[in-house]
This record gives sequence, structure tokens and C-alpha cells, in this order.
Amino acid sequence: MSTTHKTLPSPKSPVPSKPWRGRKLKMWRDAFLLIAPFFLLYFLFFLFPTIRAIQLSFTDAPLVGQGNFIGLENYQKLLNSKDFWRALRNTGYFVLLTVVPNTAVGLIFALMVVRLNRLRSIVLSAFFLPNMLTVSVVTLIWQWILDSRFGIVNEIASMISGQEIHYSIFRDPNWAMVAIAFITIWWTVGFNMLLFIAGLQGISKEYYEAAQIDGATGSQIFWRITWPLLWPVTSLVLTLQLIAQFKIFDQIWLLTRGGPFKRTMPMLQLVYQEAFQEFKGGYASAIAMVLFLIILIASLVQYRLLRTGSR
Amino acid sequence: MFRKLSIALALILISAVYAQTTVTWWDFLGGGDGIRMKKLIDDFNASHDDIKIDGTTLEWGPSYYTKVQTSAAVGEQPDIMTYHLSRYTLAIPTGVLRPFSEEELASVGLSTSDYNAAAMQAATGSDGQIYGVPLDIHAIVLYYNKEILGAAGLLDDNGHPNFTSSLEDFNAGMEKIKAAGSIPLAYPGDNGTTWRVAYSMIGQQGAQLLDENNKVAAIEELTNAVSAIRGWMDNGLGTPNTEYPAAIALFTSGEASMMLNGVWEVPTMVDLAAKGELFDWGAVEIPTWYAEPATWADSHAFAIPNSSAKPISDEKLAAVLEVIAWMSKNSLFWATAGHIPAYSPVTDSDDYKAMEPNATYAVLGEHAFFDPKSNLAGAAGSPLYDAVAQYLMPAVNGQLSVDEAIEMFVEDIDSQ
Repeated sequence: MSTTHKTLPSPKSPVPSKPWRGRKLKMWRDAFLLIAPFFLLYFLFFLFPTIRAIQLSFTDAPLVGQGNFIGLENYQKLLNSKDFWRALRNTGYFVLLTVVPNTAVGLIFALMVVRLNRLRSIVLSAFFLPNMLTVSVVTLIWQWILDSRFGIVNEIASMISGQEIHYSIFRDPNWAMVAIAFITIWWTVGFNMLLFIAGLQGISKEYYEAAQIDGATGSQIFWRITWPLLWPVTSLVLTLQLIAQFKIFDQIWLLTRGGPFKRTMPMLQLVYQEAFQEFKGGYASAIAMVLFLIILIASLVQYRLLRTGSR
Repeated sequence: MFRKLSIALALILISAVYAQTTVTWWDFLGGGDGIRMKKLIDDFNASHDDIKIDGTTLEWGPSYYTKVQTSAAVGEQPDIMTYHLSRYTLAIPTGVLRPFSEEELASVGLSTSDYNAAAMQAATGSDGQIYGVPLDIHAIVLYYNKEILGAAGLLDDNGHPNFTSSLEDFNAGMEKIKAAGSIPLAYPGDNGTTWRVAYSMIGQQGAQLLDENNKVAAIEELTNAVSAIRGWMDNGLGTPNTEYPAAIALFTSGEASMMLNGVWEVPTMVDLAAKGELFDWGAVEIPTWYAEPATWADSHAFAIPNSSAKPISDEKLAAVLEVIAWMSKNSLFWATAGHIPAYSPVTDSDDYKAMEPNATYAVLGEHAFFDPKSNLAGAAGSPLYDAVAQYLMPAVNGQLSVDEAIEMFVEDIDSQ
């Protein structure tokens, strides 16, 4: 106890008056000290690995170790690889199947839920519930629902059609990706819905009252008031969706492993397999860099498009 | 006074360290065999005052082998680990395995000749060095429902299926079962089963899948194999598009009368039978569909991770060798997990010969057909397994024609 008392500044000692520059310097120093813990962690766990990955992509490094500098060889190999283009196409297809539909479904659900009064919180939590499940649980649920032998969907289909049906959608080359997209929307739409509800509640009721007095129809109210005023939220959801869906991997890995015949293999699966199954750290880093660039460009393009959309 | 005390204390500590060596152990054995391995470890610890095994079970799959690589690189590797022999060609060039010398094995009374020859061969690198000591051989077998097959007149005097000497024979038997109103064959539609069955069929045709340049050599034999399996599905003899657990459920519920699956499912049957929830069942070596018997096999082996950052000490090495010798000599209990012990004195013992159905299918050890010695092969994530999943699995289950699938498979492997 006594030692702490000693270190406390005496209340009698006057605060030394410093010139302005000295105070500014001190302010900067304090500010730096305050952000130092964050910056240190950010550098250690984000910036440093990113820089290392860029550097690795120019080497023939195995999973562990430095490797030799080989210039652009990894990138050349990548552009000549069928799997790379296939994975790019699949990822694009998945983005197409999820980004806009997931946003639209979220908006529609949000518009319906805000109309409710007493039931609102129950319905909202019902829609949000899947969001709290981990990906392994989500895929397990759907694997069993759609199981070819014991799944409820095949059971019902067999009952209706009167003949035994053992259909496995995850093995169907034409429908597997659609099924994964559907499950992804089922799983994640609750979050989009929450954002939209927050946005809808932020729109002043006065606009709607004025419109109603002027005799506006339901669709006029939506397109002239709700849609433009909700646009900042809509564009945020679209951007978040775009980035998230480009990084698709978990659901696909657990449901189809990229099959059948690589029809659902996304970019990140290539990265994972090259790095952690075949121990090609350099090549995997090159794929990751290309994916990074694609996401960056797509986000920028979308940002420009969405900005013009708001005008 | 204080000095004397601290010296005494240090001496006690040092002698305690000398008295007991802790062996860090990693395995990937979950499920039924994991429980059995834990009991073996407990028994070992109870019978040894000087060595203590500190075991950790990690998840089966590619992540296990990734973790082994990274931990060895920084010197945090275990002292002993289980390793699939099918991954050895992939592993040895990365330097992650420490070779054993004959003298080291002899120091604990072991000799390479005591082990199943095919497994020992799979544990040997191209440099002739031994990189692991096989614990077992695991393979696929034919599980069957004695009640249904018996009623259809498909069992011989020993109670074994009597229609397993050729593909035609086997198909004819399955047609009889189908006519009797049962699904003949529960076939797990996963890539593992497809690889194991098709690869066995290639061996039965006397072929090798890959040539020395890692190109697909047995195109005709592979086509035969995949067409045969697809034929079962097309003719209503098998169960297309059936997930692994669903196939087991079809067999154990009596809906399907046979199943092609690994010996590791033997504990499932034994446990169900013990609870009185299973029919009279059996398991035999897979049919000889083609010219000669051959069964896909892999092996769990004990290996010592090689680390230049922190090589294993002599003291730990001696303890690890003692562990390996004890596990080999006590692997009779491991056989209750369905696996065939690789240590011949155990499989030659009367106790093992009295174990059923293990003793019946143990003959497959003589026809064990290990994965190609190629860096493209290996359980739990390798280019060959992936190509089977991508192309052969859809061909077997009906999403792709056999010819297209083989063409894609060959292109994929040959471009690696």
C-alpha cells in the first residue's frame, strides 16, 4: 500500500506548463502508445502473413520452409492449369447463385417481418436461428434431410410418386451447386434480414404517412420511399455478400468435396489441397493471391456500380 | 544448510526423471479402434514403471499429416506416431520419418522377418531403409447375413458364401438374393470404398495401376473394374448413391444381405451382436472376381518423426522401441478392432486362430495389395484418392459414363 502512495503525484505540485509543440509531441506519443497493442497484433497476425504469402507465391516453398525464388513460374503454371479455370468458373457460378438471391430473400423476409407486431421477435428468431449453427452442423442437417436412403425428402417424394426414389442431389452434377447455394442462403439469410430490419426501422414514419395521405399505392411506396432510403443498407449487404461468397469453401468441402467431377470445386479448395494435402506452399500462395486480386477488383467494381445506383 | 538441501532436492529430481521416461504419442484412431488403443496404452502404462505413454488422439484426415509436418519442423513433434503405410511414398522424401536400423529393432527382440512381408515391404523406402514398424493390416472384406444367404442356398458347409470364385458366379448369386426379395449388396458410395474395391479388382487382374513414371498403366483393367461395379448398380444388385453410414444401416437392419466394407466395421457388428440386435453374420475375404485373389490393404504403422530442430534423444528412442515391441507382442487385443495384426507370432497363435470372423478373413493378408508406391497415392487426401472421388465415384453411382470417367481420371492423374 505504501509504495502506491509514493508514486501518486502530489496534488500540490503544479502541472508544468509546456509549449504547444511539446504537448503535441506528447499527444502523438500517447496516441501511438494507445494503438501500439493493436498495431503489434495487426502486424504480427495480419500484415506479416500477408506479406509472407505474397513473397511465398514467387517461390517453390513446401508447406514448411523458405523455398527458392522461381519468379512468375507459379503464376504461369496457374494460368495453364485447367483446374484453376474450372475453380474460377465454379466460384463465379456460386457467387451468381447466392449474392443477389441472398440479398433479395433477406429484404423480402425483412419487409414481411416488420409488419408483424406481437409475433415479430418470435418470427425473427426463427429465421435467425440457423445463423447461430456452425457449418458442420448445418451440412450434417441437410445431408440427413436429403439423404438418398433415409432422408425425409426422398421419403416424401417416394410416398407422393408411389415408387422408390433414392435421389442424391449432392451427387448430381447439374444440381449440386444449386443445392449448396440454397443451403447457404437458408443458413445465412437471417443476418441480412437483421440488417434490413435495422435499415427499415431507420426510415422515418412521416414519409409513409405523407404518401398515404397523397394516396400512393403499395408498390409506389416501396419503389419511391423504401427502396431509395434503404439503398445504403442494400449496397452494404451486397458488398458483404460478394466478399463472403467468393471465399466459399466450408460448405462445399463438407458436402461434395468439390465433386462430382469438380463441378462444385471452388478456388479456396484448390488453395487448401495444394497447400495442406500436397504441401505446395508456394503454388497455393499464388492461387490465394489471384483470388485476393479478384475479390479486390470485384469489390471495387461493385462499389462504383452501387454508388451510381444510389443516384 | 540451504545448499545441502537444494543439492539433495536436485538429486531427487534427477533420479525421478531417470526413473520414468515419458513418451509423447500421437494417433488418429477415433471410434471403435480408438477405444481399444486407449486400453492398450493404459495396460502398457500399468505394466511399466519406467516408461509412461502420454497419448493424444488427433482427427483422422489430411490435417493430421499436416500437423506432423509442421510440428517436426519446429521441434514440437511427438516421440512416436501412427502413420498410414499408403502415405509413405509421399512422406519419405519430405524427410518427416526417421529410419529404423535392424540393430535398433533387435535391441528389443524384434526382427523385420517377424512381420507380414507385404506390410514390411510397404514400410521400406526406395533406399532400402525401414521407416516404420507395421502394427496391422486393414483391408476390405465381404460382410454377409447368414440367415438370408442360407435360406437362398448360397452357403457352403463352413457357412461361407459359395458364389465368390468369379464375377459371373458372384453376380448370379446376387441375382438369387434379389429374387428372394432382399437388396443383395450394401455398397457405401464414398470414394474410399470405390478406390478399395476397384483397386482390388485391378490387383486381381494381375495389373499395376501406375507405371514407373506415375502414369496410369492399367486403363483396361480399371475400365473392367469400374464397369463391373456400375453393373451391380444398374442391375439393381447394389445400392447406388448411398452414403457410408447409410450403407452400414442397410446391412445391419437386414435390408441388404451383404456389404463390402473395411474390417474396421467388425467392432460395429460384434457390439450389435452382443446386444442381441444383429442376425447371424459373417465376414470373409472379398470374392476372387478375376484371375487371382487380391485385396486392397493398408496398414497402420508406428513411426518416429524426424526433426532436425530437435532430434529424438537416445533415452527416448530406447523407450519408443520398447513401446513398439510391447504393442507388437500384445496386438492380439488390437485384432478385436477388426484389423489383422502385422506381427506374425500373434496371427500364428492359437488364440488368434480361435477369433471369428477374424481368423477366417486373415488369409487376405497373403493377398494384400497395397496402394501404388507413388507420391500420388495415400489415404486421407492424395491426388489418386481425389481423382477417384471426382470421377470414379460418379461413374459407379450413375452420374457419369464409365468411359468418360476413365478418360477424365487418366487425364487428371497423367497431368500431375
